[in-house]
Amino acid sequence: MASKEDILKKYRANVREKFDMPDLSDIAAITYADPLLQFMNMVKSVGGNAIEVEKGRDINELIKELYPDAQEIASNLPEITIATRNPDEVGRARDLNGTDVGVIRGCFGVAENGCVWIPQQMKEKAVCFISENLIILLDKTQIVNNMHEAYRRLSTHDAKSGIDQFDEYGYGTFISGPSKTADIAQVLVMGAQAARSATVLLL
Amino acid sequence: MSTQHSKAAKQFLKNQTYAHWHDATFWAVRTKRDNMAYGLDEWEQLREKASAIKRHTITHLDEYLDQFATNAEKNGVEVHWAKDADEFNEIVYGILKNHNVKKMVKSKSMLTEECEMNPYLEARGIEVVETDLGERIIQLKGQKPSHIVMPAIHLNHDDVGELFEEKGISKEKGNHDPTYLTYRARLSLRNEFLTADAGMTGANFGIAETGDIVVCTNEGNADMSTSCPKLHIAAIGLEKVIPNYECLAVFQRMLCRAGTGQPTTTYTSHFRKARPTAHHMHIILVDNGRSEWIANPEHWESLKCIRCGSCMNTCPVYRRSGGYSYSYFIPGPIGINLGMLRDRQAHSGNVSACTLCLSCQTVCPVKVNLGDQIYLWRQQLDDFGTANPEKKMMCRGMSMLYGSPGLYNFGTGLAHWANLIPSPIMNCGLNPWAEGHDMMKFPKKPFHELIKELKD
Repeated sequence: MASKEDILKKYRANVREKFDMPDLSDIAAITYADPLLQFMNMVKSVGGNAIEVEKGRDINELIKELYPDAQEIASNLPEITIATRNPDEVGRARDLNGTDVGVIRGCFGVAENGCVWIPQQMKEKAVCFISENLIILLDKTQIVNNMHEAYRRLSTHDAKSGIDQFDEYGYGTFISGPSKTADIAQVLVMGAQAARSATVLLL
Repeated sequence: MSTQHSKAAKQFLKNQTYAHWHDATFWAVRTKRDNMAYGLDEWEQLREKASAIKRHTITHLDEYLDQFATNAEKNGVEVHWAKDADEFNEIVYGILKNHNVKKMVKSKSMLTEECEMNPYLEARGIEVVETDLGERIIQLKGQKPSHIVMPAIHLNHDDVGELFEEKGISKEKGNHDPTYLTYRARLSLRNEFLTADAGMTGANFGIAETGDIVVCTNEGNADMSTSCPKLHIAAIGLEKVIPNYECLAVFQRMLCRAGTGQPTTTYTSHFRKARPTAHHMHIILVDNGRSEWIANPEHWESLKCIRCGSCMNTCPVYRRSGGYSYSYFIPGPIGINLGMLRDRQAHSGNVSACTLCLSCQTVCPVKVNLGDQIYLWRQQLDDFGTANPEKKMMCRGMSMLYGSPGLYNFGTGLAHWANLIPSPIMNCGLNPWAEGHDMMKFPKKPFHELIKELKD
């Protein structure tokens, strides 16, 4: 078996000319006059749904209205009182299969592409993917313009929300809309292997 | 005189309906890419930065790899190093055997294609299930990918429908609607995710500063592959490691816009640690030639590639000849170059699959000089002993003809007499200039004479 040192030594010896790291501070990245509006439009354009929730509206009622036929609702969020399953308490990740609606919380949204940053905040992250329909709760004041701002934010602890951008679970994902594929004859189909619909509830 | 590529392309072009569809489909993807690029004022600036970051990173890769591995280990990940495909396959098998794995689900990885991992594991009794829909289709069909991002693009919905009927995946005979077929595949794959003992992913990026691997998918299959099984193995080529999140932002913004014309993939997932209920996560860093390619003064920049596929989408030759016309498992401009780095003797036939239009390097998000490199490979064919003997002879002849003005003028003056040769003889199979169309007519007055007359 080759060791790390053998491979690195060989690579090092074969580099002919070294190049400097460019300055990235001058990237003139796109910004938006109304990042929230742009974010909502992008979520819709990638096949998702974005709804601004009125103040005082009952989230559980709203979820029931959106998915009246849902039998199994999975969430570990304290405010989701209609949850029938808890991703912190299932014996195995696969026990979350058959979830009609999964409800999770996002940290911030990205206006340029409709992404929402979801750090793992539950024992089994399967809930984010295995659910037929995904609902993401998001504070509507937490929208950044672009991925440069997003990754800058991930490099720092967010004192305001109290949520570590990357907590002890050591997993996080940007989700933009529902799972999709065009692998059969280039026809776009929503709902490949993960959630078939994705709704961002902006609170 | 035809190269292996042009002979294979002839087969592809026999089905003209499909060939036109293939061409139009990829042009549509290219158009979507253009819309994305024109939608960002900073697009060309991003390409400059992306190219410069990659140049820096791959010429300091030893340092970044060391940092990446150290940080991944700090996160509790087991990091392995493989010098070639054989070692990679042995390491994967070793890990799977230790955990008594019978079935592994995996998301798309060109690296595992490169190392021919699936047949290696299958020969040792491990079932490997591809979970990207396109990869799953070609796995069931016993085929190889014909495009690195859209692996089953060579099949239409009827092909897939019949395949799913044969494999018992779809229930309604004759229903070849892509939405229905995708739904049936979802149900079938869902069962595989729930019953697999291990999940494997590739990686689009490794982040030196944090030890994360980043996987981008639209289907969510990489996340499904790692959410239920108790073991996660990630396979990553050395050149996929980049310094930090600041650099990642540049590549994340470009990868999908360039590749499929979307503003982002649905999922951009960062794996830093194993799930709390799972075994250790394993990362296997694979060299398999990369530490040699960096030494090639003309071709080292191929290591900048982020595998978005935009060079094949735009390539007029790829669009009109399909992925299977190339002898290397990665087709199109980047595949021509990587194939030559891998094995010049085996893949020289591909370098003719280029019109030198340079559309590839005009769209490449990291500015790999793909067409220029293909031109350079062509200059070396004689050294590799893979130059075509007939073309070589013709070049010698032309060199003599063009080197002697007297002979040239004499020849062009007489050329119009060739117009009198009867068509069946002139346009027969022996004349390579009359392939696919009739031989051109020679003008009575050669160009030189016309110019002289104009001057007078």
